[in-house]
Parts: sequence; structure tokens; C-alpha cells
Amino acid sequence: MKLTRTLWALLVAVHASGDDGASFFESKIRPVLVKHCYECHSAESGKSKGGLMLDTKAAIRAGGDTGPAVVPGDAAKSLLLTAIKHSDPDLEMPPKEPKLPDAFIADFEAWIKSGADDPRDSATKVAERAPVDVKSGREFWSYKRPMMPKQASGGIDGFIREKLAETGLKPAPPAEPRVLMRRLYFDLIGLPPSDFSEKSAPANYEKQVDELLQSPRFGERWGRHWLDVVRYAESNGRESNLTFPHAWRFRDYVIDAVNADVPFDRFISEQIAGDLLPAKDDAERARLLIATGFLAIGPKGLNEQNKAQFAADVADEQLDAVTRAVLASSIACARCHDHKTDPFSMEDYYGLAGIFKSTQTFYGNWVDSENNNQGHLIRLPELPGQLIPNKSIPAERVKQLKAELAKLNQEEKDQKAYAEKAREEGRDITGEFYKMLQTAIRIIWTRGGIEGQLERVDDQGRALPLCVGVKDNKLILDSQLYDRGELAHPVKAVARGFPQVLEIKVAAPKEQSGRLELALWLTSRDNPLTARVMVNRVWRHLFGAGLVRTVDNFGFSGERPSHPELLDYLAIRFMDGGWSVKELIKEIVMSETYRQASGGQRAKSAEADPENRLLSHANKRRLDAEVIRDSMLAVSGLLDESRRPGSLVAELDGQSVSLMGFNTKLPSDLDGSHHRSVYLPVIRDHLPDVLEQFDVANPNLVTGDRDVTNVPLQALYLLNGSFVQEQAAALAKRIQASPHRVNLAFQLCFNRMPDEEEVALAEKFLRQGSADDLKLLAAFCHSLLASAEFRFAD
Amino acid sequence: MNTIFSRREMLTTMSSGIGWLAFSALAHARSGLASKEPHFPARAKRVIFLTMRGGPSHVDLFDYKPELIKRDGKTASLGRDSAGAKLFGPVHPLKQFGKSGQWMTTLYPQLAQHADDLCIINSMHTDLPNHAQAFGQMHSGSFQFVRPSIGAWTLYGLGTENENLPGFITLNPPADNGGAQNYGSSFLPAICQGTRIGGSQLPELYAALLKKDVAPGPPMKNIVPAVSSDLQRAQIDLIRGLNERKMERDGVDPEIEGAIESFELAFRMQSEVPGVLDLRSEPEHILKLYGIGQAKDQFARQCLLARRMAEAGVRFIEIASPGNWDHHNRLRELLATNCAATDQPIAALLTDLKARGMLKDTLVVWAGEFGRTPYAQSGDGRDHNHKGYSIWMAGGGVKGGLTYGATDEVGHKAALNPMHIHDWHATILHLLGLDHTRLTYNYGGRDFRLTNVSGEVARGILA
Repeated sequence: MKLTRTLWALLVAVHASGDDGASFFESKIRPVLVKHCYECHSAESGKSKGGLMLDTKAAIRAGGDTGPAVVPGDAAKSLLLTAIKHSDPDLEMPPKEPKLPDAFIADFEAWIKSGADDPRDSATKVAERAPVDVKSGREFWSYKRPMMPKQASGGIDGFIREKLAETGLKPAPPAEPRVLMRRLYFDLIGLPPSDFSEKSAPANYEKQVDELLQSPRFGERWGRHWLDVVRYAESNGRESNLTFPHAWRFRDYVIDAVNADVPFDRFISEQIAGDLLPAKDDAERARLLIATGFLAIGPKGLNEQNKAQFAADVADEQLDAVTRAVLASSIACARCHDHKTDPFSMEDYYGLAGIFKSTQTFYGNWVDSENNNQGHLIRLPELPGQLIPNKSIPAERVKQLKAELAKLNQEEKDQKAYAEKAREEGRDITGEFYKMLQTAIRIIWTRGGIEGQLERVDDQGRALPLCVGVKDNKLILDSQLYDRGELAHPVKAVARGFPQVLEIKVAAPKEQSGRLELALWLTSRDNPLTARVMVNRVWRHLFGAGLVRTVDNFGFSGERPSHPELLDYLAIRFMDGGWSVKELIKEIVMSETYRQASGGQRAKSAEADPENRLLSHANKRRLDAEVIRDSMLAVSGLLDESRRPGSLVAELDGQSVSLMGFNTKLPSDLDGSHHRSVYLPVIRDHLPDVLEQFDVANPNLVTGDRDVTNVPLQALYLLNGSFVQEQAAALAKRIQASPHRVNLAFQLCFNRMPDEEEVALAEKFLRQGSADDLKLLAAFCHSLLASAEFRFAD
Repeated sequence: MNTIFSRREMLTTMSSGIGWLAFSALAHARSGLASKEPHFPARAKRVIFLTMRGGPSHVDLFDYKPELIKRDGKTASLGRDSAGAKLFGPVHPLKQFGKSGQWMTTLYPQLAQHADDLCIINSMHTDLPNHAQAFGQMHSGSFQFVRPSIGAWTLYGLGTENENLPGFITLNPPADNGGAQNYGSSFLPAICQGTRIGGSQLPELYAALLKKDVAPGPPMKNIVPAVSSDLQRAQIDLIRGLNERKMERDGVDPEIEGAIESFELAFRMQSEVPGVLDLRSEPEHILKLYGIGQAKDQFARQCLLARRMAEAGVRFIEIASPGNWDHHNRLRELLATNCAATDQPIAALLTDLKARGMLKDTLVVWAGEFGRTPYAQSGDGRDHNHKGYSIWMAGGGVKGGLTYGATDEVGHKAALNPMHIHDWHATILHLLGLDHTRLTYNYGGRDFRLTNVSGEVARGILA
């Protein structure tokens, strides 16, 4: 078998070569090194105490701060031997442990004397140290600024072909126009082409691309990708799953912004600091307030009783979501200790945490039995034609509620006064404790619901336009650094600011939280991550895998880019082009790399590049959950392309998701809507069936790369799900009258005519009943919807 | 994903050296992974894996450390992360149980009745103290890459005992910590992937008000055929015909092959699954044994379902504990809650398996992704500790009543007979009759193993 260099590397690392020296190493030396030394001296552990690494031949011979660990043939000069023999009291290894058995030491001595044969040579992956400090961090690829590669004139295809040529692979021929057109439609708007004959002519390709980029359907597809990244949901999840009935405004904001191609740097700034940005009119003010919903829709520990803990946890979740979404970094790991594999310190963490702690989050949940932390809402400016799905109440009712509220407040005051008096008088009221506690809880829970209701209407009871989001706190404060993240152990205040490893000169002001500056810092041209992370996300959606496959992790524990120069090229073009996502997408889909066939010289590439990292052909891809569902609606003719006003969640009474079980009007799978899937309710831990079955993003997490599973439950859904049955019946009606109904069905579902064999299969199936058997025809259509071709893009 | 070979190419490549398993996987693809012969006689035919997510505190549960009790409140000098922290003795007493005198927490009174069946391993260690990575490593051996789950490897190695059920089922798996990757098949044939059953259920209070069952077994949606059985058979034949036609045009694609298989399996599941999931056929004394009918009995139902699935021939069954064991604070109270929620159902599962003569060839595993520090966090909790922790196994060829391995004197680091995840996986595969060095899958020119390039079978625990 012909082996490539990479394979050699793997094999050499795995198997010792046949000669005696190496096998001695494998049996006697390596196990001891692994067991007793690697913990402090290896790339895997991310540690190199005393500057010493022992996990490669080169490193063990180079040694550390005090000199070479191993000098072949010279036992006396080999410090490793000195250390394990304990012959120098200042250099005893392993530390704080008994000396190694004499037999081990003798093995090492024999090994060094005989020349220290070491198979862990250069073919082994070069040991890389985790960049845990700022200095080494600035040397790590993703924390260095992207540079425009010297040879960039060949564009995307140039970079791809160069790597292919190095491996002896050739790009695949162009995809068939029909196949390419389907791929383009699914990728750009998430729907199949309805009519393809003329459009798919290669000469019309660019026109098609432009049309799709301008289609309102584009924002529904690409907005959904961003909603995955910002863990969009309409309920809190976790142990107190309460609804966010105003979150849909943020969903619509994202779709509209993507359609308008709001520059990505601006898009980020709006979501992090929209409330602090200037607005030219009320409409823009409303839009910018809604944008900050990004920070409000995360899952929270609503039943936390300690307010300071709750605030710290909310800030932590926001910090985590922002840094993962925008920077693909796990800075939040530095809450309890310095990051173990990346250059983020606890100071970095608490510098950012202070910014979020100086921010008030409006998420709208009122206090009740499940929630101890009132959320409030942001009141939006009133605009003509504004949709307000929350309900108005009679003015009389407002008065009544206010009176009840006053009564409850008085009751609380009285009880407190009573207890205080008893304390002063030294009277024992412990016998009344239980009763008083009950009263207190009743007051708190009842008041929560009333306040919640009153916040949603004005004095006349008119429903108000509201949104979730953030504003600056009245109190702007630096955060303490807490030892091991524990609030009980503050160490010192850390000035609000930004991680040291990135050299960007921005400072948080005294009088504001610093979110505006955070936005500037994130979108600065000097930030090496933001543009790279975004172009990589886009690449992932167009090819099925990112150039960095760990799209949400650009740190040390993530993967390295397959084409670092291409990544930089795209990132710089993206920034130079005004951060236009549409232009970026256009450049990629116009490339020949995107347009190649998914077939090609597979046997060869399977051996040299089994995961198609080099893109010698296009990847076949299972469609996303939303695309599968929307495509069914499209071919059945039932698709309602209009935007669903508001959301099902906005129309529910109360805030507890558990109570939805009472609502018999709700379909059990939360589906049945004929609008596009992006408008289906996103209730954490309670997602619509079709989305759940086909690997929708988990809305608790920043998700740039959804799973793709293939399990019998999907087959059961496709065979028996009521939604699929409905679409199949509608498709049957749609084709029933046609004299070429089988052909028409194939055209609608697959954008092609059936071949002879398929016609035979179809006819055999339909011969089971009479020609006007609509149920049989629906069963036929159902099979087409359930076939693999329907849910794969070639 | 990747279309790798055409069928002809596949056969050619295979003749030049892909392992026998890859060949049999292909050969059996038509019959849905029919049962296969292990490498050597197996002690366990199936696995019930009880996942205690979050990192249960080993020093409070199974790892008795007199020195830790003695030094409670003293400064811990255990390296960088413990700087300034105070050692923290067990929050509930441990006692010796059974003839074997195994040390266990007093919070597990019913499980303690099985002390002589348990093989407690106190010297586990894993590579990273982060949930997601450690959870992934516990399932796949790798904390860094997406690799097949141990359940998928088991199914790949042994096939299924019942072609009408998935061979690998996971009940209500947690969505975080890598989600589906933890029961994924990665590069193994897609049909080896775990089938997830379950989802959110009605809280008891509302279920009672609505007069609905909280969970008649985990919900299994879409299991009732939409059309008559004959018509559905014809539909599935048509779907298969279309999919095969697609493969003839495009070349063999594991995803499409997997899709064909999953429709066949789904069709058969419709007749078998409702029966397996229906707990109403269980006699009253069994329901009582597990604690079904009590408040919060979801985990009890899952344990009983696991037994029913094991009985029906499912090869690998994974259940997630109802609570999270990530006790950074309020350890005393929360540990008691979690133990109370799992004690009776797990004890019942062992009793029930034993009574049916199934414990001898069913390996029951109780494990979290790591343990917790012997020193305190937030005053009343513990932080993650990956350097030493405990798990236990029972039945399926392991020695009962054995405490294997040990941590250092305070329970921080595995010291005696350390068992890395790779060693543990190698041991589980060994019990299943599979040699972890021979259970390989050639992917991209390299033979991959669950245990990567390490792993040693812990012979000391074999019965």
C-alpha cells in the first residue's frame, strides 16, 4: 500500500520500527517516561516544567533550562539520569515521589550508553506546547493577525489546487448543472428550485447566485445559522423552564439584518452594545434595543436564591456565549483558574466579567414558584404598524391589579413590623414562624405575577411593545477576581478590560459598562479571530466542514486549519470588503471548488485524503432539519412563504413551559405550521419533533457545527410522522391530475426525470390499486419524501 | 459526509488488508448486523451502562480515606490548583458492607446489599478535568476527536442479538457534553450508532391533573404505522429501490447504506418496540422492586426498561442518571438527593438480573466522567478531579466483592493499579470477548481502535 507522509507519521508514532534499540525503548523506556515524566514534560499535558519536554527525540536531546536531558552514549552528561538517580539533591526526579526502582534506572543507563535509540523522531508530530502565557499565545496561529498570502492571485481555487497538487490529487470535474443548482438553492435559501430547466444553464449561474442572495428566503436560511451560534431560544430551559415570549423580535431582527447584509462588524456591535449606539430615529432605536437580545436569551439558573451568585452566573453565560460565538474561544474556562491550554488568565476573565456585571439583563420572567430572579423587559418606542402580540387588558383591571399590589406590599410591611416589634420586645414568636413564612411566600409569588402583568401594559391597559435585551447598569463597577471562582473568596478588583494576548488598544470607560468598547475590540481589524471565525463558519455551511473543523474552538485544543493561507485570504478579503457576508458567500459559491462534482476520483482521494480535507470533490451533505421540512412544504405546495407574525410562544398564557401540557390547542409535536421552520417555536428541551429528529442545534450551546446522525427514529418519523403524511397527501393532490404524474413528482422532489428503472419501480408500486386511488398515490409520494435523495445535497 | 468507495473498490481494498470485521460489517449490512462471533469466549454478552454525569464524589461514595477524615480542615498541598484549599472529609459516613467488607457510602443502603457483587475500582483516572472532554473520553476514548462510542464499537464487534431492535440504545441522554457524539458511530458504519429514546416528559403534578401518564416508558414517537403493514412494506421496498438506484449512480455511500438499514430496522421496530417499552406487562412486585409508581420514578422506569431491553437482546444500553453529580457546592445535601434517586432502582436492577440468571452475562457499569477533589470548594462542595476517582462494575465476568486499585492517602490521585480510561475500555471489551488490539477499523489508511495505542486489560478484576 502506498503511504502518504501523514500516514507514515501516524504509523511511526504507533509502531516501533523493528530494530532492537527501538524495541528496547518501547518496552523499557517509553512506559517509564509516560508514567512518571510526561505529566510535567509533554505536549499532551501541556506542561514543560523547567523548559523541558521529554516526549520527542528532539526535545529530550535538546533538554531544558539546565542542559540536555539525554546525551547519547554519555551517561554522565545526561541530566535525566542524574535526576532519576537522585545524585544531585537539587535535581531529583520525579519530584515529591520515591526514587524510581533501580531496575528502571539501570534500563535508562543502558539505553543512553547504547546510543539512546529513540523512534520518536521528526516523523512524530512536532510537539507543540500549549500557549498558556501571553508570550507563547502571541506565537500561536489563531492569536496572530492574519496576513495576506503572497500568492493570492489564484483566489480560493488557487489555494485549494496547490494543496491538492502536493498530494497528487486533482479537482473533480464541474457538477452537473442540475445538481449544482440544487446545491446552490439548498445552501443559499434552504429550499429546492421550483423550476430548473432554464435557470440551471451554466451561463446563468452568476445571475442565479445574485437572485438568491437578494431573496428574502436567504435571511431565513442564513439567519438560522446565526441563531444556532447565539443559542437562540424562546424559553430559559434548565431547571426553571420559563418562556421568553418577546424573544421572537430578536429572531426577526437577525433575519432582517442578514437580508440587509448589515456589515458583520456592525452586526456584532449591535448585538453587544446596540443600546449604547446612536440611533437616528425611533425605528432604529427599537431595532438596536432588540439586537441586544443576544445577551438576554441564554439559559439562567432562575431558581438561584443568592442574587450575587445569579448576577455572576448570568455574566458568565454572556461572556461565554459572546467569546465562543465571535472568537471561537473558551475564555470562560478562566473563571476558576487560568486557562489550562490557552493564553487566558483569571485577570482576563474578570476584566471581561466586570463589563457584563455592569450590565442589566432584561429577560422578562417574573418571580414565581420556579423563579427567584425578576427579569423585567425593555419598553420599545411605539412605531406605526408595530406587531404587539401580548394582550391588552381593561383599564379597570389595571387599577384592580395596582390595588392588589399595594395591599400585598402593605401586608408585607405589616408582617415585617410585627416581627421587628416582637424582636425588640424580646417576645418569642417561633411558634408563628411557619404561618409567617407561608404568608411571605404567598406575597412574593402573587406579587411577581401582578408585576409581570403590569409591566406589559400601560395605565389604560394597552399592551406595550416590549423586548428582551440589555442596558447599562446604574452602577458601573469593576469585578473582583474570585479565588477558584468562589464569590466568598474575593482576591482583588480587576479593571474592566480585555484579554492581554490580543494587542488591541481599547479601554473601558468609567461611566459606561464597556460593552461598546468590547464591540470595538471584537471588531477591530487587529483582532485576529473575529473575521477568521466568521469566514470559517460560512465555509462550513457551504462545504459541510470548516477549514478549521472545530468551528467553535480556535484554541489550542481545537484543530488547526487545513488551509491556513486560504483562511487568512478570506478573512482579509472579508474585512477589506466591508465585512459583507453576502459578498463572501458569493466569492465562495462562484469558485470552481464549490462548483465541482461530489463524485470524481474517489478511490484515490479516499486513500490519500479520506476525510476530503483537501476538497478534491464536493461533499455530499444531509440537509439540515429546517431544510428537510421546508422542502417538503415546498414540493407539497403548502408552503406559506410569509413571515409568521410573532411566535407561538408569544401567544401562550403564563410563563411555565410545563403548563403547556394543559393547552390542548397545541399540537404535541409543536408543528403543523405551514410557515418556514425558522419560525417554529424554539422552547429549550421541548423542540418540534422534526427539528429534534434531524439534529437541530441544541439551543443551550453555541453551535456552529450541527451533528449529523442517521438513526431508525428518523425513519420512523419519515414513515409515520403526521407532518410528513400531510405533505405526502398534498403532493399527491398536486400531481393527481397530471397525465405524467410520476415524472412530475420526480421533478418536484428531485429536479429531474426518473430513469427507466425508477419508472418501473413507481409503476409497480402504483399498480397495487386503481389509477384514481389517491391514498395509494399519497403513499407513493410519501416514499419519495422519505427517500435519501430528498434529504441529501449532492 | 464522505462517499468513500464504490462497492468494487471496497472489495478490492479489502482484499489488500482491511480487518475481518470490516468485511463482516459489510457482509452483515444486509441483515442489520447479525450476531457475530467474538474473538474468544465472552464473559458478558451485553452491557448496561449507568452514566452518572457530572463527576460523582468518589471520596464520599466508595473511596474510604481515614487520612482525609483525620486531616479534615487542614490545608491541602496537592499542587497548583489546590493552593490554599482545605481538605474536606466525607460529608456522609462510609461503612463496610457485605462479607467482602467493601467500603461504601451509607447513602446507598440498598445498593450496599449487593456489595459482594460489586467490583469497585478506586484507581480510575482520565486526561482532563472538564466535563465535555472527559465525558467524551469516557464514551469514545478520545477527548479531542470525534470517535466511535464504546457502544458503537461493541455493536460493531458483536452485532445484535435481536434484529428487530436497535443494538445500541441510549435512554434520555444528556444533550450537552458533546450530545450525540457520545453515542455516535463516527467512522464506523452508521447502523452502529446509538438510538436515542426519550425526551422531556410531563412533571408528575401536571400529569396527575391531566390524568395522563408521566411516561409510559420513555416516549417513543411515531411508532404506530401510518398505513397498513402491506402498504408500508411496499413503501419501504420502493424507498430501498430508489436508494439503491442512487448508490448505483453515485457509488456506495455509508450514509445511504445506513439510511436503507434504518428503514428496515424502523419497520421491524414497529412490531417489537411497543411491547418492550410497555411496562404495564410487568407484575406488581417487579414495579415495586424498582420503585415505580413513587414520585420521580423516571430513573426507576429506565432501569426496568434496561432490563427488558437486555432481555430482548439489545447489546448495549446506556441510561443517564436523573440528577447531575457536579457538586461544586451543597455537596452534603445534593449527594444525598442523587443517591436517594438512584439507590433503589440500581439495586433492583441487580436483584432482578440476578433472579433471572442474567447478571452472569450482563455487565452493569456505574461511572461518571471523573471524580471530585478531596479538598473543598465554596466551603461545602468539591471541584473536578480527574487524577483519581471511582467507578464500579458488576456481573458479566468481573469479580464481585473486590476493591481494585487505590488512590493516594487523601484520594487525590490514582496510586495503586491505576486504571486509565483506555485500560478500562480494554477490560470491558475483554469481558465482551473482544481483544481491544484486534477490534480495529481501517479508516483513512490507519487501523483505529477504541483504545488508540494504549490500554491494558486489568486481569485482576476478572472473575
